[in-house]
Amino acid sequence: MPLTHLPAIYRKEMLDIIRDRRTLISMIVVPLAAMPLLFFVMGRLVSSAGKRAGQEATAIALRGGDALPGLADFLKKSGFEVTSRDDLRAAVQNKQIAAGLEPVPRSGQAPEIRIYNDDTRQGSDLAARNLRRALDRFRDELVRGRLEALRVSPAVLRPFTVTEVNVAPQRKMAGFFWGGILGYVVVLLMFSGGMYPVIDMTAGEKERRTLEVFLASPAGREEIVLGKLLAATSAVFVTALLSISSMVVALRWADFGKEAGRLKEVAGQIPLDAQTIALVVLALAPMAVMAASLMIAIALLAKGFKEAQSYLTPLVMAVVFPLVAGMMPGVELTPALAAVPLFNVCQLVKQIFQGDFTPLVFALTMAANVVYAALAFFGAVRVFSTERVLFRT
Amino acid sequence: MIQVHNLSKTFKDPKRGAVRAVDDVSFGVRAGEIFGLLGPNGAGKTTCLRLLATVMSPTGGTATLGGHDILRAAGEVRKQIGFLSGDMGLYHRLTPREILRFFAELHGLAGAALRDRIAHLLAWLDITGFADTKVDQLSTGMRQKVAIARTLVHDPPILILDEPASGLDVPTARVIEQFILEARRAGKCILLSTHVMEEAEYLCDRIGVLHQGRLRITGTMEELRAATGKQRLREIFLTLLGIDPGPARNS
Repeated sequence: MPLTHLPAIYRKEMLDIIRDRRTLISMIVVPLAAMPLLFFVMGRLVSSAGKRAGQEATAIALRGGDALPGLADFLKKSGFEVTSRDDLRAAVQNKQIAAGLEPVPRSGQAPEIRIYNDDTRQGSDLAARNLRRALDRFRDELVRGRLEALRVSPAVLRPFTVTEVNVAPQRKMAGFFWGGILGYVVVLLMFSGGMYPVIDMTAGEKERRTLEVFLASPAGREEIVLGKLLAATSAVFVTALLSISSMVVALRWADFGKEAGRLKEVAGQIPLDAQTIALVVLALAPMAVMAASLMIAIALLAKGFKEAQSYLTPLVMAVVFPLVAGMMPGVELTPALAAVPLFNVCQLVKQIFQGDFTPLVFALTMAANVVYAALAFFGAVRVFSTERVLFRT
Repeated sequence: MIQVHNLSKTFKDPKRGAVRAVDDVSFGVRAGEIFGLLGPNGAGKTTCLRLLATVMSPTGGTATLGGHDILRAAGEVRKQIGFLSGDMGLYHRLTPREILRFFAELHGLAGAALRDRIAHLLAWLDITGFADTKVDQLSTGMRQKVAIARTLVHDPPILILDEPASGLDVPTARVIEQFILEARRAGKCILLSTHVMEEAEYLCDRIGVLHQGRLRITGTMEELRAATGKQRLREIFLTLLGIDPGPARNS
């Protein structure tokens, strides 16, 4: 295949892409603006909701506190605003209090303490959790007092203590968190970001009647498809890089409040060394070619822009399924699963960020995706050589 | 320059079955000659031109353009031709200069030769003033000039013009007519498809009437008159289509 016309075709396609407002929006504005906006809004919502829930969670009511002397005072000391209500259930339902507490005496047995709360309300749920912790402390205090009265050390109740030691290094934790999200979002944005440029250079060119003159030039069909493919792949890659960059910036600056302390801690630790970035870009490369080729082949079947949009939108939606499967916790990239397109790249990106991929899985995933990219490319060339598709009006 | 031998193209249509859009067509066009392919809508004119421009492949017969066979040397054929249609086929987000540069590069021009050729065409067609304005901001007349410049950017010896004045107003269509006549004076071989009788009568040295994919007749106006016994091209055309042209009118 001679490639003498390829630079001219690529230059023209890129010029056409960067001057198209729709393409610029999907390729540059959305990846750059959507993530910071999403995280800013999400951060504000999480932060203000957390603050509100924290304030609400202190308002509780106690009924029949006499059954457990000292409880009301203990709760007040623990930071709760304790009031009295006759109907605790109704008071919680009517949002007069976050949670209600009722010690129920039982003959011959210790009293049962009922906590009334509404699991669908963040403040109420938080109040119930805080109450449970406070009651544990109150129980420990009672037990300790009774044991001391019997001259028995409270240590008899704790023959041992338990401490969890997380052996995953910080990088692995950050990779686990980041990899899952990044793989999913980036691949999805690669498809949605590449959609408009691809439609414009295929169905759009048919609709504007520029294709016929292009075909009557000395450029060969394979060269034309390759030029368009390179331009579309560039668009897809630009979308991916901008998405990653804006996500990193957005997550580092987003304020999720105290409630999301761990998220913030992990978010700030994304591994961004040159080797990780190079491996991620390498892993995404055949995927970008496959995405661009597949979309070119499909969009070419359409008569015009709108029809192509209706063909490609389901494809972008279908992409979500293997990506979601790749995000599932506990799902690992095995040599067999390395052949599953989209899923494999999503998993591989995660493992690269975690720093624990094996060369075998990397090689198998790359090989599978290169084969898929080649098949998609030849499919696009074939469609581009089909007269009834090119001249369908 | 152009030799067409028994050219045929059959499409498979799901509703109509096999449709012979071009049916055993043969004709020739010399250098410095304008050959008009005249026919009603759907006669097969555009398909015939697409076959000669090698954007479609024939199902039968062949043709040579500038000595190159459309089946065996499609790439060489495309270097010999300038293709222009009524749609103009211009990239709306590019400027005339960028479009000319792109097509010049596709035709192998580079460096000073490319710059000189573009400068010459911009000046000759009076495009210089809007050479760096995007096409979507240009008037139809300006666009038509850009389309002509693009067709001539590699100075092709053969021009294939598919209803180039279709949908244009009279002053803009006049620009096209002048371009075609100028190209003939420059010795180019011109194949023109049209369904406008006045255009064909005014411009063409010889005319071929295409109907339902078949070439019914070819010749000069005198030869067509002699063959049909009719004076005006409109009457000749309708007679060949088997339609009563009505009473003759004196102009």
